[in-house]
Amino acid sequence: MTNKVSYLPGRAALLATAAVITAFTLFPARAADTVTQERLLNSEKETGNWLHHHKNYSATRFSSLKEINKDNVKNLKVAWTMHLGGVEGGGIWSHGGLEGTPIVENGMMYVTDGWGSVYKIDARGGKGTLLWKMDPKTDHDWAGAVACCGVDNRGVALWGDLVISHTLDGRLIATNKETGQVAWQRQVADPDKGEVITGAPLIVKNMAITGVAGAEYGIRGWIAATDLTSQKEVWRTFTLPGKGEPGSETWKDDNKAAASGGGSTWVTGSYDPATDTIIWGVGNPGPDWDNQYRPGDNLYTDSSLALDSSTGKIKWHYQHTPNDPFDYDSVSENVLADVTGPNGVPLKLALEADRNGFAYAIDRSTGKFIWGLPFVKKVTWTKGLDPESGKPVEYDPKKTVQRYNAAVSPHRENKVADICPGNMGGKNWPPTAYNPDLKLWYIPVIESCNRITVEESVPEKLKPREFWTGGGPSQPFKITGSVTAIDVTSGKIAGKLETPFPNLGGILATPDLVFTGQPSGEVTALDGKSLQKLWEFNTGGGVNAPPITFSVDGKQYVAILVGLGGAWDKWFIDSTPELKNIQPGSMLYVFSL
Amino acid sequence: MTILQTRAFAAAIALTLMSTSFASGQSAASSDPTEGGKAVFKRANCVGCHKWHGNGGGGYGGDALSLRKTELTRDQIIETVACGRPSTGMPFFVRGAYESSTCFGMTRADVGPGMPPEGGTFLRPNDIEAVADYVLAHVKGKGEPNHDECLNFFGNASRVCDVYKAGTQLPANSTSTGSSSK
Repeated sequence: MTNKVSYLPGRAALLATAAVITAFTLFPARAADTVTQERLLNSEKETGNWLHHHKNYSATRFSSLKEINKDNVKNLKVAWTMHLGGVEGGGIWSHGGLEGTPIVENGMMYVTDGWGSVYKIDARGGKGTLLWKMDPKTDHDWAGAVACCGVDNRGVALWGDLVISHTLDGRLIATNKETGQVAWQRQVADPDKGEVITGAPLIVKNMAITGVAGAEYGIRGWIAATDLTSQKEVWRTFTLPGKGEPGSETWKDDNKAAASGGGSTWVTGSYDPATDTIIWGVGNPGPDWDNQYRPGDNLYTDSSLALDSSTGKIKWHYQHTPNDPFDYDSVSENVLADVTGPNGVPLKLALEADRNGFAYAIDRSTGKFIWGLPFVKKVTWTKGLDPESGKPVEYDPKKTVQRYNAAVSPHRENKVADICPGNMGGKNWPPTAYNPDLKLWYIPVIESCNRITVEESVPEKLKPREFWTGGGPSQPFKITGSVTAIDVTSGKIAGKLETPFPNLGGILATPDLVFTGQPSGEVTALDGKSLQKLWEFNTGGGVNAPPITFSVDGKQYVAILVGLGGAWDKWFIDSTPELKNIQPGSMLYVFSL
Repeated sequence: MTILQTRAFAAAIALTLMSTSFASGQSAASSDPTEGGKAVFKRANCVGCHKWHGNGGGGYGGDALSLRKTELTRDQIIETVACGRPSTGMPFFVRGAYESSTCFGMTRADVGPGMPPEGGTFLRPNDIEAVADYVLAHVKGKGEPNHDECLNFFGNASRVCDVYKAGTQLPANSTSTGSSSK
């Protein structure tokens, strides 16, 4: 039913228009449905809604709804389901998957499939009714051939009377919330350069903030802001410095490596209104596994970046893995948490669970390291973090090429190396959640090692739309997962529930529960304190997306998209052979008591 | 006929006309005896690792060999597609490989943990011959992929080939200013 109204000719169109007018009369657009900066700032007051990708600007993915709680969650059951589309393949991908976070506003749900179609679903009355589907007609082969890690789209944002979304082929699209008609669109990323977009937009002050993917294809990463009224670009901040700019001294090669050095930004960031600061994670340097090609610390790859929201200027950065030879992205969301530290000092933290296996708390006013600890069971690439600087203890700023634990690090003289965590990281894009009452931060963990084979990079190998990785991973080891809780007041692990499979979906926290899923199909509810499993339902598909919760008509629901896609079932499946049985799918599940 | 049926019928006619005119403009392509092999190349997801141009290359998963630089003969290509390559990611595409028929003289027990993965689809012998003939005619021995080859593979409905147009094959980057306000 793609934009059916606009494409039907003649009498049918007239009839359809009449139907829309009738619909408007029955359900007139309410002022309450216009999304403003005021509402986005105060999203926590709209307890039944899920307005932001990460629930709020602080990216906590915590909902105060508690009709479903640890006493009754055992009675949770399927309320309704809906089959979605977007399973078809394109480029190097045999099928798409679902990684999106649903957005819910006043009983209306907005979800996306991997190719960027947006579905508006009326979730009132204990059932789901599809109101419209906007199919952006994504250029499958153009985009799918340069999407390193799947046919993915992680969801929409709302602004005014528009639904704001991205497409894999690089567009930002504004769709009329009532009609499903595309109001306008703008090409933000360029697949001809290996750039694609998988993340959801972040809306700040009438701007849509867009991140880019493509660090495996020799891109120069950026974060871009588009004015949602003028439809023009407000700023674009490159994550790799240009010649002579601050940070350019950290690219010491003769290859112009910084011009194609990665630094992608494909996970939606957070925003601190108190300081008007956007905090956004930056991905790996490229070529991924040949760090001799790009001597120097390679700023701002593998860093958390703080940007002035009005100008995009970099306020501070914190780099986790300088001159990274492991593909240890720092794209993860930064969770903004205010806690009282060990000495009674109030701390304004940015929390990030890095691909390198360490969880970091950074002072988000200054970018200074507060604490860090491994959240995975096994780390081999470093002996640990320096307690003052948070840098890996082997890091030597005088060296241009870092070896870390030289015995296991991949490099030109050690071409086959087994690393833990594996290159997909201790945590990948699936989001954490933070319970501000319990001060517990829940990390969806990939407990992993894998094997890296280095291939020496030379400038002649750098070609548009071709992999630029300096080698590749393989999967000789079985990979499992966990949900790991960290006490943010102490910076210590508070609990770990091990799971048979890696956590590829992410976490939702409520006052006394944690919801998550497994790529083998299960959606589970855990006790928020003990992590004991209290409820489980097998969806029969692979969970590759985070759960959310909302309420409508006074009733609480939990919603999750199910459809295994992404990087795992193409690149990493040998580490989880049982998951070869999981079929591609595209389905929305909604649960209630 | 309902309105929708009428519309579908009209669309079908339009499509037929389009493909007819397209074909007449590309008579060489449509008379190419390896068109069927190209279809197998797509259907069996050879592109998933070897890419449309056959150059393969390292990347996130393994390192698919270049079919452009391959020295395999027709018979060897046929055997590799049928049987895969033990201890690599190259799948086998014949039902019963290493079981009802041996591959490289080996059974499943002989191959052991080096058993190649099973292809996403099984191919009949004539499909495998067709894809081998396609590779020989259009991939093996070719230099860098170009715009015409790309159009021949994808047709003209996607922007996937634009990057091969003359003048656009520059390194995909620039070193302009780091933060720009517009």
